[in-house]
Amino acid sequence: MSWNKVAVVGAGLIKMGELFDQSYEQMAKGAFDSVVASVDKGLDPALIDAAFVATQRGTLWGQEGIGGNTVPSAIGLSGIACTRIENACPTGSDAFRVGCMAVASGVHDVVLVIGVEKMRDKSSEEGLLARAAAGHPVYTRGESAPVLFAPFATRHMHDFGTTREMLASVAVKNHHNGALDPYAHFQNEVSIEDVLKSAPVCHPLHLLDCCPQTDGAAAIIITSADRASEFTDKPVFVAGFGVATDHPYLHEKSTFVGLPATTLASDRAYKMADVSPSDIDMAEVHDCFTITEILDIEDLGFVEKGKGGIASLEGETALDGRIPINTSGGLLAKGHPIGATGIAQLTECWWQLRGDAADRQVEMRNGFALQHNVGGRGSGVSVVNILTTNA
Amino acid sequence: MTVCISAVGVAAPTLRLSTRDVNAAWGKGGGRGQSAVCASDEDTLTLAWAACDRALDAADLAACDIDGLWWGTTRPPFAEGPSWTHLAAVLRLGPSTDGSLCSGSTHAGIEALLAAADAVAAGRVQRALVVMSESLLPGTGTGVESATGAGAAAVLLTNEGPAPLGTRVTRSVPVLDRYRGDREPTTREAYDGRLFREEVYLPLLTDVGRAAGAADGARWSLPDPDGRLGPTLGRKLAVGALASAQSRAELGDTGSASPLIGIAAALATVGPAVVMAYGGGRGTALNVDVQAPVPGADRVADDLGQGRPASYTEVLRARGRLIAAGESVEMAVPPGSAMFVRGNVEVLGLLGARCVECGTVNTPPSIHPACISCGSDKFDIVPLARKGTVQTFVINHTMPAPFEAPLPLVVVDLEDGSRIQLQGATTGADLTIGGPVELILRRYSVERGVPIYGWKVREITEGSAS
Repeated sequence: MSWNKVAVVGAGLIKMGELFDQSYEQMAKGAFDSVVASVDKGLDPALIDAAFVATQRGTLWGQEGIGGNTVPSAIGLSGIACTRIENACPTGSDAFRVGCMAVASGVHDVVLVIGVEKMRDKSSEEGLLARAAAGHPVYTRGESAPVLFAPFATRHMHDFGTTREMLASVAVKNHHNGALDPYAHFQNEVSIEDVLKSAPVCHPLHLLDCCPQTDGAAAIIITSADRASEFTDKPVFVAGFGVATDHPYLHEKSTFVGLPATTLASDRAYKMADVSPSDIDMAEVHDCFTITEILDIEDLGFVEKGKGGIASLEGETALDGRIPINTSGGLLAKGHPIGATGIAQLTECWWQLRGDAADRQVEMRNGFALQHNVGGRGSGVSVVNILTTNA
Repeated sequence: MTVCISAVGVAAPTLRLSTRDVNAAWGKGGGRGQSAVCASDEDTLTLAWAACDRALDAADLAACDIDGLWWGTTRPPFAEGPSWTHLAAVLRLGPSTDGSLCSGSTHAGIEALLAAADAVAAGRVQRALVVMSESLLPGTGTGVESATGAGAAAVLLTNEGPAPLGTRVTRSVPVLDRYRGDREPTTREAYDGRLFREEVYLPLLTDVGRAAGAADGARWSLPDPDGRLGPTLGRKLAVGALASAQSRAELGDTGSASPLIGIAAALATVGPAVVMAYGGGRGTALNVDVQAPVPGADRVADDLGQGRPASYTEVLRARGRLIAAGESVEMAVPPGSAMFVRGNVEVLGLLGARCVECGTVNTPPSIHPACISCGSDKFDIVPLARKGTVQTFVINHTMPAPFEAPLPLVVVDLEDGSRIQLQGATTGADLTIGGPVELILRRYSVERGVPIYGWKVREITEGSAS
């Protein structure tokens, strides 16, 4: 049925947060140590014959460009084949996809996919400054990250009656889950009222509608499915993936109540995995803002278009809901260290599929977990990966 | 050949500063009147565009009908640089348009008008657009600070029209009055007010005014730097109530723009008129014979009456006299870079690329070699419509300098079927999905010392349409 040529045999991450005491290199080493330790039967690092590094931007710690050599050196594997992947917010999930293709092609046997992102060596205001200068020098002048998503909230609220309470319910759920996840940036619960009363950031989004700026790193080890048993008796397979693009500027959008790149990417992933949305047991989706999760669960086919807000408010996406979403706390609570984000989401999916998610464990009826990112200029890039325990 | 005013348009900036507030800030009581001040995204270029746009609208002409542009201002946006070409570009005038920029003193406005009139009289230009715009920057704490205003007026000059220009008189005397040296940001106050009044202003302009040979009952627009010199001169010339009194009270001293701003409303009524100007030791009077109402004159009072009260602090910030400490966000590329050489005409002129195959408008053209809808690479370059409705919007509250929060960003569906994303020109309080909006020219920022212009979105509410 599904593709299943590649197995995930290890996954791990470091505690997310404002890691002022750790360098980019130290975070990478931490994630690498974590992933090596996660391999059930142990992993001799010398077996790793290639690495793909996911880092979205270096400018937040003063590096204009980061090649493929920084991470191998930091984790004691200097000399191995290593390529840096950059593809906006889906950088980590796309590095994973590329790693899977490298294994599936037979070129590489044991591949490390590692995401590392330093977001807080510069003040959050300076990060904002950099963002506000992106895109066209005049037409997009003044765009900070919330500007890419808030217009969708305005329109979704207008067209479907989605309310700020519905948006807030996403943050409430994800903070609840994050408080159960020892790796999450935030370990506290918030109430609907907390979200509503938080400071306005970019109307209609307020502070608690927005993910934090988080340092973090996460890593995954993949091998060909045939070799998985060398490393674990509980392998997780890659059932399918998809990547898709959309126009980069807001005024080029065909809709402001959905992100077509997500729909396209997930269609491709579902087709490759030969599953439908109803087969998915849980999903880690891109909730950089509360509205984004609402768009995601609609665009991924989990709820009808326009019903994402009410579904969230009514608990359909909670740990015990019909389709649990962002059990790790999501970007809103776990954090969004961009290049590491997708790989950290895949780590959560891996745990859930193996039954290792502790207090966050949800029922895995069908053995399918979905991971999703969307971002870049105009939310014009989306990647969806589907993992499964079904051989 | 006869030269006539065939349309008029005026523009006033957004802010109004009360003299009382300025006095209070400097420990002085009382004070009467107000002046108009540019918001931080307005200047002599945006005001000139707005006045020209209204004059063209009143004349029911398109930019392609204009073959000459004359602009007078003491404060061109580039003290040395492409001021005139930027104005021509935002007006979408063709590359072979005639004309010039007059500057150097508050006499610049009338110099532009006379130069344009000569070009039309000579038959070199058929339809000349003349604009005077001003945004004076006074020294803080000076006596003229609260009197210093801003505004613009534009007229269309043609061979035939409702208001032929008559005789003109100019007199000159080499004296220092108000002036600004190279690299000085603010205009200096006259050294001695009484000396200026008694020995320069009144004798020179009385001479000019009498020599103008105005018809009885003429309406007069007189220069009035401080709010007293104008009426005093009017009494000397025995011309009765000044036609320029209303705009002077509304806007303050509009310097080089004051001659036309002062007479614009009077162009709605038949009868003789005199436009007088002063600046840099030169005085000029120009007769105008209004034989029929000039298109656009009937809306002058409304257009000058817009504006909202602003605190002295807001005015200081808008004038760049109160600057936030700390870093501010730079554009990704400097204004002298290739991106602006490639992109200035399409951004300033608000141009799009209409796909020949499917009709989709791709904006801006230089970043769209293939149609976003069908992938075709065959386009016609078209000017975008300037009115539309809101598709969606946000109001950004977390912007670092030089942005001012709240900053709306709006996606607009324009009347021609195109779509564009732009900053809002207001606080966004009246933005609604589906609500009507218009695009207006604004200064986006002063980037590494260079003004950057683009279009912003303004809600069309009752009485606000341009």
